[in-house]
Amino acid sequence: MNFFKRAWLNVWAKKGRSILLILVSSAILMFVLAGLLIRSAAVKATNQAKEEVGATVTLSANRQAAFKKMQSSSSSSKSSRPKLTLTPVKLSDATKIAKLSNISSYNVTSSTSVNASSYDTVSTSSGMGGNSSSGGPGGGMKSSTSSGDTQIDGVTATSLTSDFSDSQSKITKGRGITTADKDTNHVVIEKELASQNDLSVGDTITVKKTTGSKSKVKLKIVGIYKASATSSSSSPMSTDTSNTMYTSYTLANTFKGNKYAGTADSVTFNVKNPAKVSSVKTAGKKLINTSKYALSTDDSSYQTVKASMDNVESFANKIVWLVAIAGTIILALIVILMIRERRFEIGVLLSLGEARWKIIAQFFTEMLMVIVIAVAIAGAGGKLVGDQLGSQLVSQSTTTTQTSTSSSTGQPGGGGQPGGSGSGMKGGNGGPGNVGQSSSATKQADADLNISVSAVDLAELGGFGLAITFLSIMIASGGILRLEPKKVLIS
Amino acid sequence: MLKTEGLGYWYQDKDQPLFQDINLEFDIGQSYAILGHSGTGKTTFLSLIAGLDKPKEGDILLGDRSLKKIGLTNYRRKDVSIVFQAYNLFTYMSPLNNLMTAMAITGAKHAGDKVYAKQILNDFGISEELALRNVQHLSGGQQQRVAIARTMACDAQLVVADEPTGNLDEDNTRDVIAQFQKIAHEQQKCVIIVTHEPDVADQCDHQFRLENKQFTQLA
Repeated sequence: MNFFKRAWLNVWAKKGRSILLILVSSAILMFVLAGLLIRSAAVKATNQAKEEVGATVTLSANRQAAFKKMQSSSSSSKSSRPKLTLTPVKLSDATKIAKLSNISSYNVTSSTSVNASSYDTVSTSSGMGGNSSSGGPGGGMKSSTSSGDTQIDGVTATSLTSDFSDSQSKITKGRGITTADKDTNHVVIEKELASQNDLSVGDTITVKKTTGSKSKVKLKIVGIYKASATSSSSSPMSTDTSNTMYTSYTLANTFKGNKYAGTADSVTFNVKNPAKVSSVKTAGKKLINTSKYALSTDDSSYQTVKASMDNVESFANKIVWLVAIAGTIILALIVILMIRERRFEIGVLLSLGEARWKIIAQFFTEMLMVIVIAVAIAGAGGKLVGDQLGSQLVSQSTTTTQTSTSSSTGQPGGGGQPGGSGSGMKGGNGGPGNVGQSSSATKQADADLNISVSAVDLAELGGFGLAITFLSIMIASGGILRLEPKKVLIS
Repeated sequence: MLKTEGLGYWYQDKDQPLFQDINLEFDIGQSYAILGHSGTGKTTFLSLIAGLDKPKEGDILLGDRSLKKIGLTNYRRKDVSIVFQAYNLFTYMSPLNNLMTAMAITGAKHAGDKVYAKQILNDFGISEELALRNVQHLSGGQQQRVAIARTMACDAQLVVADEPTGNLDEDNTRDVIAQFQKIAHEQQKCVIIVTHEPDVADQCDHQFRLENKQFTQLA
């Protein structure tokens, strides 16, 4: 194995050439590493997006089936006016679905409206058709379905709603609704409503049911929240956003009437791994009566982030391969020139009876020494290049993704409206939930790639370095294999 | 020791050979000079007996074995040492490392023995201090002595030299030829020197002249 010693003696004796080779190799490997870092950061970001952005599956009444039923009944009995009957979701069904794997949590939503009794609702000047929603008890927007002036959003916990999880709404005083508030009269009201009526946490307000006996119910304020201007409840048909109160879904069901006990308008299940949304939906469908209920999925946030990161990953892959191929060609050319310059040395080695493969092994060992140092240099410098390239790529891909998703997500809050006293559904597919989720996707895509050099990255870089060295030596070795010592040494 | 049987060589045209039907014999413990004008083919002949090229016709025998059977690489590694006009040392090494490398490649019995290598260099007038310098810092005469010392360090029985004194002055030429004689007579090796200098040839035990495609032994 004398070629190891010869390689070392050559690298050491020709320091200038070795340093130049190290610099060229470092530059090539630095770009390879930058590509590798961006690619692994993109993969990490996509995985993180899976965990953070999440996806949801919503169990609600099957509107399509109900609409068809309504159409068929209207054609058979022309005398009576057709009526769209939506079956409220049974909580027993929701419990079954919640037991499926990949479901991390779920939120029961039951919405209705009541009329203010002991307080004044907040007026808005931009009501429908120019009419202002009148304040005062019994005021507010009246609809044909006898809806009240105060919107009641019954939930399992406020923290599970998209408005609160996406910070569209924030608790400013007291606390939000939690699972412990089940079967209580606790309520969380909006800050503007509280200040207008001089209400604070611990106070009691009275509301009047819009159904049945239309009796009055006392509610205890446990928290005050601040809603943003684009809160999901501000659909065109609703009262002012400030007139929305959060309660436990059990209380909302009480307002709707006795027959709504143990039901909900919809149940939203949070899926741990967004990639499993489809399988969760399929498994869930087997547990419900699909003629009455529907399961809809929403993984748009995940898809938005995934698309953005896929772009970055694909570009990083191209960088890695382009630089690796270009690097191999550049190094091969340098090695060819180096070998041509050392023809006499090769001739002497051949005249001494050295095997050709050992001569090639000597050159490979020399390049390996260079590459090891180059990997170390590239490891130190690759992060800088990766940071620059990564932030540039993310900003470009975010712009592209936002442009393409803005048309697909539609108008915030579209498609849903608070129901009346009956079986009102709050927002169908593409309803209020979409507002928060599209903004969270933007947040994710805006985030910088977390680029860091790990041992795995360095090992992968070493692998690329080794492959580039091996290929360039193999390409350049054709000359050694063909070299005739007589021509070099005698002529 | 080394025998050529009907040896012939040509480049393009078989009808215009450099030499043909050459039958020579070289013995251990003797030195041989091959003389001839430029272009007669004496260096080509040397490249054939050095195993750097294959003959177009005929055969070369080392003892009873044909070079074709031994294989040129094996032959160059074990049986022959070559000295060139341009020294052809490893320029990035010291004289000592040049010897150590040659010994390692050829698998000489003293491979890895630095003391032995230094002793040989010393015998050829290369001091310990010079032995550790880069060979490029040595004079032409010193480099040629290192090249000859390299053949000594290896265990090959046959030493061939192509114009070994071509780049040397008179004193160094005399010194180098004396070293070759020493190798032939004291080390009992067969030394074949290709030269165009009659003075160099005169110091060898036997002389051959290559002329008109044939070798003639001179008295």
